Amino acid sequence: MSLEKITDPRNMKHWLGHMETDYRYTLGIAGERFLNEIKENARIMGSKCKKCGVIYVPPRMYCEECFEKLEEWVDLGINGEVYTYTVAYLDREGKRLAEPVIYALITFGDAFGGLVHKLGEVKPEEVWIGMPVEAVFKPPYERKGSITDIKYFKPIQ
Amino acid sequence: MFGKKRVAIVGAGLTLFRRNLKETGKELAYEAAKMALDASGLELRDIQTVVMGTAPDAFDGVHMKGEYLADGAGARGKPYVRVFVGGGTGVFTPLAGWWHVASGQFDTCLVVCEEKMSSCFPHPAYAFTTIFDNILARPLGTTLIWIFALEMHRYMHKHNLKKEQIARVAVKNKKNALDHPCAQLGANITVEDVLNSEVLCWPVQRLDISPTSDGAAALVLASEDVAKKITDNPVWIDGVGWCIDSTLWTNRDLYYPDYVEYAARMAYRMAGIKNPPKEIDLAEPYDPFDYKELHHMEGLLLCRKGEAPKLTEEGVTQRDGDLPICPSGGLLGVGNPIAAAGLMKVCEVFWQLRGEAGKRQVPGDPRTGLAQAWGDLMQYGSVIILRR
Ligand SMILES: [Zn+2]
Repeated sequence: MSLEKITDPRNMKHWLGHMETDYRYTLGIAGERFLNEIKENARIMGSKCKKCGVIYVPPRMYCEECFEKLEEWVDLGINGEVYTYTVAYLDREGKRLAEPVIYALITFGDAFGGLVHKLGEVKPEEVWIGMPVEAVFKPPYERKGSITDIKYFKPIQ
Repeated sequence: MFGKKRVAIVGAGLTLFRRNLKETGKELAYEAAKMALDASGLELRDIQTVVMGTAPDAFDGVHMKGEYLADGAGARGKPYVRVFVGGGTGVFTPLAGWWHVASGQFDTCLVVCEEKMSSCFPHPAYAFTTIFDNILARPLGTTLIWIFALEMHRYMHKHNLKKEQIARVAVKNKKNALDHPCAQLGANITVEDVLNSEVLCWPVQRLDISPTSDGAAALVLASEDVAKKITDNPVWIDGVGWCIDSTLWTNRDLYYPDYVEYAARMAYRMAGIKNPPKEIDLAEPYDPFDYKELHHMEGLLLCRKGEAPKLTEEGVTQRDGDLPICPSGGLLGVGNPIAAAGLMKVCEVFWQLRGEAGKRQVPGDPRTGLAQAWGDLMQYGSVIILRR
């Protein structure tokens, strides 16, 4: 249902322009190691502050509480749980998706934070907050050191 | 205790909020600024400094948008700064104006907020795709709506809320907006209309969301000496607060905005407010989504955690209720030209405290009001408390 009167901007006198620019983003010190562990070893790592005991996921190079540099890394395994989720029906340009996509924030035990990712092998109506899930990785030869090396998370049977 | 000088608002101006306006961003800034000046009885030459607030450059498609807008905001040849804290900008900008005057450096300050979201097509939402983490979020196709959907869902889960309870906010605010002459989306709708509207990212549906808009708003600030000379009814800025969390929104509870609470506590302390629900007569919390009004009422300590839906259901937050919330119609009803929408809320509190809100006037001769905005990556709170 739409409530407002919408004027068409194409009917106003205008000039078309764009400000497209391309960027190359480095993964960073912590990010490179995190994604390399996913690529090489199919495992999800956190970084731990020796002073506060906090384990950060995604891992960071520094502790935001005490500003210690974080050098200790912890294997968090590949299992987590759904903290919250949404079912997206639109793409980034606002167009209707052919199939809805489930996105979830996944937490890992006591680690601080979590990963945002897709859920797979599950229907929207079967997902629940608190559901245990595990990471499904792409095969090694397809992994490039990207967050999408994890295909999705799926319910643990 | 805070600042050298007490600071008053002496005039406000607001343009129409619409999906597409013909005016350029500079022209919108001019319209609002001129209206605020006329209302204050001052002229541009009386203004010593200008503070501009406007959200991402990518909306207008002009890099260095603050500089671009300067002449429209009346700043040419004057000390000028543009401030930017995402969606929090609209309430942060008068805070920045406040310290210009409270410091004793200036006696008059023009505060202007502008947004022209229609320049960006097919949809300004696309301009947001680059605000997310380049490494971990963008490769997944992140959109703005679904991160809010994640937050809303967590809030609903934590307090065991139904969508019906949240939809009441959209119904109230769109109805309030029917009385606002600048409003884009005033309407009489029902809870069922909200529940039957298109699902965008569950649990967010079409009528849970504010629209994209063009528009501008402005305020004239004056030191106590000047304010007392030019008006019999100044409205004082008695509390200011602001606070940021990190962009790592994955590291938050999501069901409760701590950073809004910290900003509110800062403002209450300065204003000497100990019991916000009793001492605040009306509030304009930031409502780009219906659940955000509830979220922010709780973060602002206007009620207990999880209690805002109940107050809404009981009618407490209606214009004639004990604690009117968003009597303007809010972003859901008036519209959401980001920075201008936040400043619209401050304008509303100003008009309400002066008894100049017309059909929107809340009863009971309100003396103290609060406006709040929220933004960046679900991480920023800005709060202002006004008194007459
Ligand atoms: Zn630490």
